[in-house]
This record gives sequence, C-alpha cells and structure tokens, in this order.
Amino acid sequence: MIEQFLSTIADLARDSGVAGFFVDGGWKNIVMILISFLFMYLAIAKGFEPLLLLPISFGMLLTNLPGAEMYHSEFWVYQTVGDNDHYIDYGNILQHGGLLDILYMGVKLQIYPPLIFLGIGAMTDFGPLIANPKSFLLGAAAQGGIFFTFLGAAVLGMSAAECGSIAIIGGADGPTSIYVSSKLLSNSDSIGVGTIALAAYTYMALVPIIQPPIMRALTTKKERSIVMGQLRPVSKVEKLIFPILVTVVIALMIPSAAPLVGMLMMGNLLKESGVCDRIAKTAQNELMNIITIFLGTTVGATTTAKTIMTLSFAKVIVLGVIAFSIGTACGILLGKLMCVLTHGKVNPLIGSAGVSAVPMAARVSQKVGQEEVPTNYLLMHAMGPNVAGVIGSAVAAGVLLSIVAH
Amino acid sequence: MYYNTAQLLASKLSGKDYTATDIASVVITGMSVVFIGLVLLVLFVSIYGGLFNKANQKKKEKQEAEKQAAEAEKAKKTENKPVQSAVNAPAATDGIEEEIVAVIAAAVAAIGEKSGKKLVVKSIKRSVSQRDPWAAAGLVDNTRPF
Repeated sequence: MIEQFLSTIADLARDSGVAGFFVDGGWKNIVMILISFLFMYLAIAKGFEPLLLLPISFGMLLTNLPGAEMYHSEFWVYQTVGDNDHYIDYGNILQHGGLLDILYMGVKLQIYPPLIFLGIGAMTDFGPLIANPKSFLLGAAAQGGIFFTFLGAAVLGMSAAECGSIAIIGGADGPTSIYVSSKLLSNSDSIGVGTIALAAYTYMALVPIIQPPIMRALTTKKERSIVMGQLRPVSKVEKLIFPILVTVVIALMIPSAAPLVGMLMMGNLLKESGVCDRIAKTAQNELMNIITIFLGTTVGATTTAKTIMTLSFAKVIVLGVIAFSIGTACGILLGKLMCVLTHGKVNPLIGSAGVSAVPMAARVSQKVGQEEVPTNYLLMHAMGPNVAGVIGSAVAAGVLLSIVAH
Repeated sequence: MYYNTAQLLASKLSGKDYTATDIASVVITGMSVVFIGLVLLVLFVSIYGGLFNKANQKKKEKQEAEKQAAEAEKAKKTENKPVQSAVNAPAATDGIEEEIVAVIAAAVAAIGEKSGKKLVVKSIKRSVSQRDPWAAAGLVDNTRPF
C-alpha cells in the first residue's frame, strides 16, 4: 500500500508544473515569470499604462506556468490547405484550446482592436482638428517613424512581415500595433504579437520621458515660447459631417484601413449625434473595458518563453524606441516648417503630438510649452495633431497591410 | 500605385531576399500614400469648415446687431437716471465696468479681512492672456481626467 502511495505521489509530482521547470529549457519559463513580475510592478507601483500592462503581465504569468495549458502557440501555426496557405485550424482550437486560446481568436480574427477603436472614437473630440485641419499634416508626418523603422528592420535582416510589425510600434497606438502584427506575423516568425504589444505599450507609457529631450533638441527657445491664438468654435453639424467624411475618404482610398478608421468614426458619430447616448456610453465604458481585459490577457499570453527569449526581442525593443523617436522628430520638424510658413503662428511643439498616444503626447506638448511660457495653453492645439495621429496611424497600418500582405 | 509594390514584395517575401529598392519603395509609397490621404482630408475639412464658419459668422453678426439695437433702446430708457460715481475708485480701470470693479474690490476686501489687513485696489488691468480665465478654468476641468 505504501508503495502505491509513493508511486501516486511521484506521478503527481511528474505531472505538476514544478516538474515543468526542470525539463529542457524550463529555466526560460522561470525567467519569463520573473519578467511578468517586473511588468506587474511597473503597472501597479509606477502606473505604466496599468489598464493594459497589468492584464498583459498576468497573461504572461499564466502562459509561462508549465502544465497550465491555457494557451498553445502550436495551434496558431499557418497551414496550407489547397491554394490557401494562410489558414489556421480554428475548429481544432475550439475543440482542444484552453481559455486563452479561445479568447485569443478575437485578436487573430481582428475583432478586438476595431472594437477598442469604437470606444476610442466615442471618447474623442475631433473639434480641435476640425477647427485647424492643417493638424492633419502633423499627424501624417509623425507616421514617418513607422516607415523609417521599416527600413531599419530590413537592414537588420528581418522578414517583411517582421519589419512591418516592428515599424508600426512607431505609430504609438496599441490596438493598431496588435491589429497589424496579428495579421502579418505567423508562428514561424521569430517575434510574436505579444512582443510587439509589450514594446508598444511600454513605450507609450514612456512618452513623457522619450519625447521631451527630442522636442527640446530640435526647437529653439523662441519657437517653444510661441503662444497660439484661440481655436474657432466648431458647430455641431461640422462635428457630425466629419466622421462620415473621413470614413468615406479613407475607406475608399485604403480599404484595408477601413476596419480601424470605420469603427473609430462610428464611435465618434454615436457620441456627436447626441441621440445614442446609451450606446455611446457602452462603447466608451463597458464594451471598451471588456475588450481591454480580453485583449490584454491574451496578448500577454502570446509571450511564451520561446518567443521572448530570442535576439529578435532585443531588436524589437531597440527598433521600437527608434521608431518612436523618429516619429516624434518628424512631427516636430514639420511643425517647424509650418512655423516658418505661417510666420511664427504655429508652435512646433504641437508636432510631436502627431504620434497617436492620446492624450499623453498632447499633454507632453502642453508641459514642454509651459516650461517656457507658464500661461501658454498648447493642449487644445496639440489635441488636433494628436487625434490626427490616430487616423494617420490607422491609415499607415492599412498601407503596411496592403504592401506587406501575405 | 502601392499595389505594384505589394506584388513585388509579396513575390520575394518567402525567401527574405527583397532588394534595397523594394524597401525604399515601401518607405516612399507608404509616406506618400499617408500624406495624400490626410492632405485630401485637410482639403475637405477646410472647405466645409470654411463654409460653416462663414455661415456662423453671419449669424453671429446678425445676432450682435440685434443685441446692439436692443441695448441702444435700453440705454435711452435709463438715460435720465442719475449715475453715482464711486468716490475712491481705482485710478486706472482699463475700461472695465464699475460693477466688475466693485466685485473685484469686494473679493480683495474679503481676502484682506482674513489676514486683518486693509487692502486698496489701485488699478485694474486686463490680463494679456488671450484665453479668458473662465475658459481656462473650464479647460483645466475638462482635461483633468487625462
């Protein structure tokens, strides 16, 4: 009887997660769990985008516990069936997948990011952009970071899909990064969606640290002190026409940007119409929160030890910060050009807000501006390029997808 | 335009052997498509924004004209009433209404009362800031949740 007892105990120990740490490569899981603790610390104690980083880091913890079987990266390998070589066996996932596999289908099928955009649209006031449409240009310039990083990644010898996924980090837009990378990357690539999302959200949280030195280096004290005039008031009809117009123009021009831009603008129309208060509120709050939980946890779950503990991850981290910095610099430089062309009516600092990261980037412009002139309110002026940046990065995402599609 | 690049790149994707020209064309077409898209939006929004702004201004002018007419009538009615001038009014009031001056003086007096000092308003000047303080307070209030 004692023998039977001992063998049962031994079996249990073999099946337990602890045993998983001692198999070949099991130490990597321990490292990953420690990294997840680090991100939890950053989210809770340092307040780094906690709404996303906390679910992501917990997803990271869950996926790296051996034997928990909540997420299987091997299920997400593209297979060739007939002429279609970009095929995932969703039937198999539904039958054998764990909780996080099932939820991750929303990422892979491109459902969550557009729904997040719906909520963002319902929260955004495009008034400053309508009052000063030239802000669109700053939102476009800041996307320069995306395309120049594409160049950098290519030089480092990454595949086109990887280049596109890393480059989109420069858009400083979490949902867009996840949207593009989940569409481009497959399991055979050396980086995963989770890696991209982690880098994107970490850098978005670091916007107040990354941007100001670049902003100060590229502008003169005189330029930073420019006080901009008040924006004209925007009527309700203008705010109603705007989302419809943007959707039609962008969706016709770059169809692959339609899911993101379309949902963003639909959310905005719900808000501005004033007749769908209940729906607009749900999109802003409950729906957004639910999707954030699903998105964060599952994207975190893709950061399994074998996808993170590679040289490519280091490349993502380095290229990500370069993408961010070039985006900021491009925005500032166009801001300077606009300053010259308008004979000093535009403060170049609002250019850096063209990287999306709403509303953090706009607040950074405001803060750096106030360091020179304490009574200077650049916030509303910076919100224009900021929301234009959201549209701009969605457009850039569409362009990347149509160029680098499998 | 960018579909050609797409085909070019997709055909070479599997072997990772894209050339420098492919990459350059991605960067150039990518940036130009984003710019063309957003420049189109700038044009559209500027055009309809301009139209609405004009319409709004006309409406405003009309309203202001009506308001002025009403005020002129009101002024006529009150013309006969004697106007009391404040004895020790501040020397420079920068064209600010007496009522506002009184309110500011009262606020200053209230602060002085707390510290037990008697304060005198010597001059009142309009601040140079382009945004009026109420709008600024509203702005701060609206953007605080961020």
